[in-house]
Amino acid sequence: MTTTDLAAGQGVAPRTLPKAGAALDRWRVPLTIAVLAVLPFVLPSQALAVNVLIYGLFTVGFNLLFGYTGLLSFGHAAFFGTGAYLTGMAIALLGFGWFPAMLTGIVGASLLSVVIGALSIRTRGIYFCMVTLALAQLVYYVALQASGWTGGENGLRGFTVVKADLIGGFSVNLLNPLAKYYFIMFFAALALWFVSRVLNSPFGAAIEAVRENETRARACGFDVERTKLLSFVLSGALCGLAGTLSALHLSIVPLDALGVHTSSIVVMMTMLGGAGSFFGPFVGALVFLLIEDVASLWTTHWQLIVGIVFILFVLFLPKGIWGSLIQIVRRRRAS
Amino acid sequence: MSALMEVTDVGRSFGGFVALAGISASFERNKVTAVIGPNGAGKSTFFNVLSGVLQPSTGSIRFKGQELKGLKQHRFAHLGIARSYQITNLFPELSVEENVRVAAQALKTRYDVFSHRDRYPELAQKAEAALAEVGLTHRRARRARDLAHGEQRALEIAIALVANPELLLLDEPTAGMGPEETKEMVALIERLAADRTILLVEHKMKMILGLSDRILVLHHGRLIADGTPTAVQADPEVRRVYLGQNDGYA
Amino acid sequence: MDLELILMQLFSGLALGAILVMVALGLTIVFGMLGIVNFAHGALFMVGAYAGLWVAAQTGSFWWALIVAPLAVGVLGMLIERFLIRPLYGRTPDDPLLLTFGLGYVLVEAVRITFGTDGIPFSAPDALQGVVDLGVGYFPIYRLFVMGVVAVILLLLWVALEKTRFGLIVRAGARDPLIMKVLGVDVSRLWLLVFGLGVGLTALGGVLAAPMRNVSPEMGTLVLAEAFVVTVIGGMGSLLGAVVAGLLVGVAVSMTALFAPEMATIVMFGLMALILLVRPQGLFGRPAGA
Repeated sequence: MTTTDLAAGQGVAPRTLPKAGAALDRWRVPLTIAVLAVLPFVLPSQALAVNVLIYGLFTVGFNLLFGYTGLLSFGHAAFFGTGAYLTGMAIALLGFGWFPAMLTGIVGASLLSVVIGALSIRTRGIYFCMVTLALAQLVYYVALQASGWTGGENGLRGFTVVKADLIGGFSVNLLNPLAKYYFIMFFAALALWFVSRVLNSPFGAAIEAVRENETRARACGFDVERTKLLSFVLSGALCGLAGTLSALHLSIVPLDALGVHTSSIVVMMTMLGGAGSFFGPFVGALVFLLIEDVASLWTTHWQLIVGIVFILFVLFLPKGIWGSLIQIVRRRRAS
Repeated sequence: MSALMEVTDVGRSFGGFVALAGISASFERNKVTAVIGPNGAGKSTFFNVLSGVLQPSTGSIRFKGQELKGLKQHRFAHLGIARSYQITNLFPELSVEENVRVAAQALKTRYDVFSHRDRYPELAQKAEAALAEVGLTHRRARRARDLAHGEQRALEIAIALVANPELLLLDEPTAGMGPEETKEMVALIERLAADRTILLVEHKMKMILGLSDRILVLHHGRLIADGTPTAVQADPEVRRVYLGQNDGYA
Repeated sequence: MDLELILMQLFSGLALGAILVMVALGLTIVFGMLGIVNFAHGALFMVGAYAGLWVAAQTGSFWWALIVAPLAVGVLGMLIERFLIRPLYGRTPDDPLLLTFGLGYVLVEAVRITFGTDGIPFSAPDALQGVVDLGVGYFPIYRLFVMGVVAVILLLLWVALEKTRFGLIVRAGARDPLIMKVLGVDVSRLWLLVFGLGVGLTALGGVLAAPMRNVSPEMGTLVLAEAFVVTVIGGMGSLLGAVVAGLLVGVAVSMTALFAPEMATIVMFGLMALILLVRPQGLFGRPAGA
């Protein structure tokens, strides 16, 4: 108690963000979009840039649940993959246009997240990650068996969108990589703006309260289960959007989009970048994909390197790159 | 005027262990009632049952005429029952102001995912008022985990207060406090008691005798005495229980 | 469908379940004591199978593999606890989970580098080849052997937990870690042993499973999911639950395979979903708040 009293006496700097930090926070959406906009020109390849975009968005959705609500899911491939599959199936089997197909993917992923979320939230604590992993495996095996619709092990093919028609007779040529990049970026930007609104909303405060202290949040009058479920569904919908964009981008959906590996990399990206920070997900996605890109040049076993880097982060840098940067800046101001 | 809360024959057991057996009591408005008893007497269980953390195994609890048994815990706050915890139980990484404001919002805007939180100025005002009431206004921007112990206890109360509850359950509000801090906390509770019904669990006898209108004594899960401080002090069974303990409570 | 076939399939399910019991027991013992979920558990199952393969190749004896491989992997488990997990005690329970998850990645890749990416067949010793007449039909000897080994291990575990001081401490500790402080137990040594035991059990499961399926670096992924399913159904931290649910899942999968093979894997996840709906704490788990 004496130490806390001493600290209090000296007047530790309050938790107001430094001016630069406050500005960064305020302009976080335009800033992220600006960085994303130049990405194709600064990264070694445009393919890498598109992946940063799609996986970054996937990670943003995941981070809403893990970083801000405190729920660690190991089954988010289910939503990414469902978004991708439904988009592809809507085009290939039902002849939908690209936009209704996207909506199908997002709505489907959201509905699935209601079911998986409701089931896994019934359990407590550490159970959650096990149940989400198992239920995502269920989805994976269903897709594997329903090969008539999904293509089974070979993945889903045959739904290439060459040109995205917009309103007013305009269209985007998706064969042009740069045009496709900005096409995808438009949706990522919308999603980012939405997430930023959510985080600033009262609900954003509610999920943080649940993360910080579930018992207390419940005593205050929060329906903790429902709050978690809503966060789960928002997260699932965002990951579904990332999946639909991935389907439009690749024109195929590999079965692995639903697999454990896909659930895993989003966890890794979040941890590398910094859970619970706005910029963390894109930083994490960028770093992960860069490691993959560089390491796979000289070894097929790049996953070994990713795994080791990840372990080192958990041990020594659990707040991730961006989270640690924020911490250092704060500490420097405090001293 | 009828009682604010009516507890009838409430019991709670865990497996074979009976933690509470047939407690009946009613609580009048704007009175301070202390719940005392040796360790393991069932005080915590009693509080947990009254605040919805635990369901009673038997009996009924009526609050303003409404049966509480079977309600989910979060509903209690909406009906006007708030509690503080024995172990400091805050939102550690949030600022003091955010702690109180998020508690205020729990009753109102939980599923608003889109409008900015500053769009609810009345929440900020409520938070501000609660902080002023417990004397933490000057700490508003500090992280809860960085507060001194006494300040954390005060924040604990502010979080409970901000919902403007009719019934306030305080679980050992002065736990771990020195004499100075205790004095401040007693003064605070006295202020709050002017227009609220307060139930508190405490170990510090002197404080209880000075503060309470009425004392309930629990022992082995049973209610062994219920009356004014003077009556309870004179009760032979209470004396036996506490003298047998001989740990300086009385 | 005749009765013989169904009985045979039931036995098959029990053999499959016996393996699951080993894996899930290891997972649940570690969770009960250390409060962490070991995400490398499936990978260590796979490492156990490869270790068995390697020892068998070196010594020419399946029996050596059966004994040495689980012990060696168990020691590996102790090293993991000592050097990777111990620094994380006192952080959130997510951190050891994330670390073991990363470790799983590393183990799979390390095995791919050492043994190649293709599956390797691993055959049972001649003495265990062939079938035996059970009266209702012929049944592979090896599967009976697996059930026997698991029964012996369960018996040993039961004796160790119920009749020894070590067992008393483990059971008390699983209920309330604080008790161990009161008893003056050296917690860090105990945790080291328990983690080693848990890993050793899953490695034994890996060695036993090897002759029944292809040994491949990816074999741990499904096993991890299966172990989670068993643990959720049985109730986290309940040893009896792990045994009952393991056998139950084995039989359910095996029976479904008889009638609708494509549903075999799906049915176990469905079973888990059902349990979550009607009894979220699992068959033998204690309900929350008690």
